Amino acid sequence: MALRAARWGWSRAAWQRLALALLWLGHGAWVLLGPNPARHWTTFLDVLSRPTQALAARWEGWRAARRDSGRSLAELRTENARLGAELAQFRTQQAQQAPRLAEADEAVRLLGLKQQIPLELKSARVLFATRPATFGGLILDRGQDLGLEPDQGVLVPEGIVGRLWSVGATQSKVLPADAPNASVAVMLIRSRATGVLQGLGSGRALIRYVSNQEVVQPGEAVLTSGLDRVFPRGLLVGYVAEVAKGDLELRVIVNLSAPLDRVNAVLVLPPQPPLEVQPPFVAPEPKAQQRKRGTP
Amino acid sequence: MRLAAPSLTRQNLLCAAALGLVAFSAPFPGLQAIFHAVLVLALAPRAGSPLFGALWALAAGWTLEGSLRLYPHLGGTAWADLTLALLAGWMAGRWPLEGLKGWLTRLAGLSILQALLVHGAVRLATTAHPWGWGWFWALLSVPLWGWLAWRLLYAGAGSGRR
Repeated sequence: MALRAARWGWSRAAWQRLALALLWLGHGAWVLLGPNPARHWTTFLDVLSRPTQALAARWEGWRAARRDSGRSLAELRTENARLGAELAQFRTQQAQQAPRLAEADEAVRLLGLKQQIPLELKSARVLFATRPATFGGLILDRGQDLGLEPDQGVLVPEGIVGRLWSVGATQSKVLPADAPNASVAVMLIRSRATGVLQGLGSGRALIRYVSNQEVVQPGEAVLTSGLDRVFPRGLLVGYVAEVAKGDLELRVIVNLSAPLDRVNAVLVLPPQPPLEVQPPFVAPEPKAQQRKRGTP
Repeated sequence: MRLAAPSLTRQNLLCAAALGLVAFSAPFPGLQAIFHAVLVLALAPRAGSPLFGALWALAAGWTLEGSLRLYPHLGGTAWADLTLALLAGWMAGRWPLEGLKGWLTRLAGLSILQALLVHGAVRLATTAHPWGWGWFWALLSVPLWGWLAWRLLYAGAGSGRR
């Protein structure tokens, strides 16, 4: 037993060496810790806990990213809903303002036409269109209150519309140029041949009394001749669509240039206008005179 | 010729006396440094039984640090003294003394090492600090206190040999 204890147990010198080693290490550690051991312990524990801190930081970052993504998704949905509502509102406003914009555009074009024709033109709005009906026409919002009379010419920037058929106190009816009972004195722009335009309906009309000897080509412009004293000479009526030779005269089909089904505002010519009107003369702006060489 | 180790009682008594001198010589730093070097390098180390020597060295270091007002009291001197005492004891066992000349040489080397190690440990424990001239006086007086320690430890008071 004694042999085994001596073999496996520690001798006195070993215990002394262990005590010395612990003494040296402990004292060295004390010296190394320095004047502020708490700081060293904090550093030591910080080093030990660094992996845990890294894991916690990653976990917190993942949670923050998830929270932010959820928040951003909710914000995006809210923004999307708000933008959708705004878009619908803008579309509604646009739809509401589209007729006004079209009217304003048409008014601008009418104003341009009014400046081109040196006559006292009166403007009126189309209240209702009865063209699909037999002998239908356009109902204007002005009548005798504006001094209108029957047989006054009506036109739009694209071309002539027709003439006033009947005039009431505050309204008047327009007989469109494509009506079967309408007639307009016209002439062809190249051959200068004159004729009478009779309506065929659906924006088409037939020119009568054009001699077989005349040369008319499809696409040729048709103007008013002014002989009916409803329209002055030179207003656009339409374009030749078909030309066929008859026994005595040519059968010339014309597509009217005025969009009779989409007219909202018109200009009314004065009664019995002059045969021919000259466009207003606009004097060019005087250029700055170049200074001659040698002059002060 | 290999010298016999001094008796443990004599060595402990000498260490106690030297420790008292270290404590009481505090008003004279140069003298205190010499007593400190004597205790740590010459009296405390002992081959084969280093525990008492280590404790005396620690006591010397703490006494020195505690007696100096402007010195950091963080155990740097004590740890350096402990290390030097262990080193000197190991050297005494590894290379036994054969004469006064070798003893003085060894003490001179240990004095230099002590100066470096003490101030290095103190700097490690705190920051830069004034070294003073104690190390210089201790190194300069190595022949004196080395011879005295040799006489007290190995030669004895009477016959000179033991």
